[in-house]
Amino acid sequence: MDESIQTVWNEAQTRANEAYYVQRRRITVDPITRLEGHGKIDIFLNEQGEVERAYFQVPELRGFEVFSLGRPAEDMPQITSRICGVCPTAHHMAATKALDDLYRVEPPSPARKIRELAYNTFMLEDHALHVYVLGGPDFIVGPDAPPEMRNVLGVIQTVGVDIGKRVIATRRRLREFIAYLGGKVVHPVLGLPGGVAKGIAPEDLPRFQELAKDALDFALFTLQVFQDVVLKNQAYVDLITSDTYTHRTYYMGLVDEKNRVNFYDGKVRVVSPDGKEYAKFAAQAYLDYIAEHVEPWSYVKFCYLKGVGWKGFTDGAESGIYSVAPLARLNASDGMATPEAQKAYEQFFNTFGQKPVHHTLANHWARVIEMVYAAERIVELINDPEITSQNLRVIPTTSPTVGVGVVEAPRGTLFHHYETNEDGILRKVNLIVATQNNSARMAMSVEKAAKGLIHGGEVSDGLLNKVEMAFRAYDPCHACATHSLPGQMPLILTVYNAHGEVVHQQKR
Amino acid sequence: MSERSACILVLALGNDLLGDDGVGLEAARQIAGQVDGSVDVVETGEAGLALLELMEGYERALLIDSVVTGRYPPGTVIEFSPEDFRKVVAPSPHYAGLPEVMEMAHRLQIPFPQHIRVLAMEVLNPYDFRIGFSEPVQEALPQLVQRTLRILRQWQQKTVPAAEGTRC
Repeated sequence: MDESIQTVWNEAQTRANEAYYVQRRRITVDPITRLEGHGKIDIFLNEQGEVERAYFQVPELRGFEVFSLGRPAEDMPQITSRICGVCPTAHHMAATKALDDLYRVEPPSPARKIRELAYNTFMLEDHALHVYVLGGPDFIVGPDAPPEMRNVLGVIQTVGVDIGKRVIATRRRLREFIAYLGGKVVHPVLGLPGGVAKGIAPEDLPRFQELAKDALDFALFTLQVFQDVVLKNQAYVDLITSDTYTHRTYYMGLVDEKNRVNFYDGKVRVVSPDGKEYAKFAAQAYLDYIAEHVEPWSYVKFCYLKGVGWKGFTDGAESGIYSVAPLARLNASDGMATPEAQKAYEQFFNTFGQKPVHHTLANHWARVIEMVYAAERIVELINDPEITSQNLRVIPTTSPTVGVGVVEAPRGTLFHHYETNEDGILRKVNLIVATQNNSARMAMSVEKAAKGLIHGGEVSDGLLNKVEMAFRAYDPCHACATHSLPGQMPLILTVYNAHGEVVHQQKR
Repeated sequence: MSERSACILVLALGNDLLGDDGVGLEAARQIAGQVDGSVDVVETGEAGLALLELMEGYERALLIDSVVTGRYPPGTVIEFSPEDFRKVVAPSPHYAGLPEVMEMAHRLQIPFPQHIRVLAMEVLNPYDFRIGFSEPVQEALPQLVQRTLRILRQWQQKTVPAAEGTRC
């Protein structure tokens, strides 16, 4: 055989063998890791015992689009809010706004305010859950605390029983208010195309004004806790700013007409890794800016900026990977629309001495700042003279075709896109959920954390927690795409050596 | 704390848009017409901390749910105690966090059920959006209902005599 042909042949054989080997390595999984409903982190080492690749996988819920087709678009605020029990209000609101767009109808001002009020209440309640329960163990208790303390009980022990009671009580009252406005918390019935189903009775206003005041106290108190516990501790600050948890990506978030953070409405703004405005667009144009990349090892599609392009799991201005969620929102904006939140925003960027801030773990701080904004906005809206108006709906009269709605979910930008026939029956449905927007950066975070913590085949203690911290900061909600709870998902981390053998396993 | 008029809670967990995942909810609907005022039957798609609010103030709680353990044929009804979730990775994310929630209620002195049992049916497919159950789950549904009712009867026998002068 000709030598050059022989070389090509051998190379092809080698590649085929490697591909087969990788396949086998993927299949050689301990039976317990094949339990459905688990998140999995698989880490593959090379011959030197260094991390070659790390994969973060979550199970998938299938067929939502097919399920929706042929149903009336008007059912979507109810159906999508039942995708999961984690952020029903975000899906409900994105769907409601997509219906406004579909029927070309603007809700009257009081209805818009009631929606925004309900939405900020949800944001505050959900952020509080993350700060104290899901992410709190990483910061309030401390990343190096013993495993038995790294949970909500450790948080209670750190902040005290009275504060624990206050967290539970405040959250309950916020959820009762959402229920007052929208029916069940999990299955809200507030939003209708062109308005809302229910207003606020004037006689109920005083108790909600009281709640708003308490909610703001609670948010400011939380900011104080964060400053006392986290920011005064140099070890935490070093961890936040460490290279392991840093990526220089683009950032996306909704902004108002003055480029200030807004959860409910506005334009989608994207800034580059050096903080310059890259794009600002209305929700309807999202497909001009966002594309999805598919990897064979993951059910989740990886969103990236179409104009920059997919360059693999790498950061920098040349890579189209972007991030959403609290840190991204602060980075993508020029400020906050309320006074206390604005103060906190300025302190945030002054402390880091840069903008954008590229440290993933700064999401925790950004989340607390957003709690302050949400609470201040609730106070403004509940005291608005229009808030008890009964002018709650404009009835749609046009024939539907296409509608796109966007909100900032707690976990980041959420798009709903519907296309219907003239009777409003769905022919196309596309959702881009927050966690999907973040999925590429999250995969990078998991891999970078693994690379920082495994050397020469030695796996450090607490690896699972440190790797988890890398993605927990985003508050990922895989329940939209998966059957799981944020931070509570059973998770198994497996390390394979270069021969595909399991050398280490940790689970939670 | 909330004032409950009933002593016993049947809490069904699941999502009825996800096929078999909703089997607990369907069982709850069938049970709802067969219990008296001492039992509240509640359906929820929530979990984690929400369980604290849902379960607070009851004397006894029976959770009904679906699981995929892969160890039993679909349709098998399995009983767990909350202690099981301390030892093993929770087979369903719905009550991941149940031991923590119980511990939290204890630390924060929130009145919480003293007796908790979990009935779960092994299911075939809780991952596809669809309405309706797979065949083995549909066939086994009456068993889940019967076992739930049996536990409720046992509990009612225990709680009613003790109710003299107290709420439960």
